[in-house]
Amino acid sequence: MTKLVQWLCGLALLGTGWATLALDPLGLHLPLPCRQVLWPFPVYLLVAFGCYSLATIGYRLATFNDCEAAAKELQEQIREARADLSRLGLKF
Amino acid sequence: ATAMDQLVGFGLVAFSLLLFVYYTIWIIILPFIDSDHGIHKFFLPREYSVTIPVIAGLLLVLFVGVFVVIVMWKNRKPAKKSD
Repeated sequence: MTKLVQWLCGLALLGTGWATLALDPLGLHLPLPCRQVLWPFPVYLLVAFGCYSLATIGYRLATFNDCEAAAKELQEQIREARADLSRLGLKF
Repeated sequence: ATAMDQLVGFGLVAFSLLLFVYYTIWIIILPFIDSDHGIHKFFLPREYSVTIPVIAGLLLVLFVGVFVVIVMWKNRKPAKKSD
């Protein structure tokens, strides 16, 4: 069974669980606040996941370790290589 | 990371934290608070808690699609003529 099929089965299971509780085919009649929380729950999970992704991206951007010296050295080597190759006849 | 990177990065963290807290209170906490409490005036009617994320998601998909179309348009090569 592939990973895709596994994820789809998990999603289908959660979706069925949500539909049974929210659309109330069994006539269980949960208390009103619980049903009000349950209805937007899939959208809530999506928004929560989106917030987590955004926060992770922002945090890793802010704490990224630049290597200034290595960057300068690399730029210098690129410049040398260009000069060398254009002298040998390669067109840029 | 440069100062600008740090500013943007931590700004993103703060924004997503704020959004998460507001949305959590809206969806999960408010239904359990009596409707005559003052906190309800800080939150939109409940229907918007689904329509706004759905519309935002559609806009996101739209922008990504437009971006892909623009990039592919710029990179198109004329078809080679074969002898």
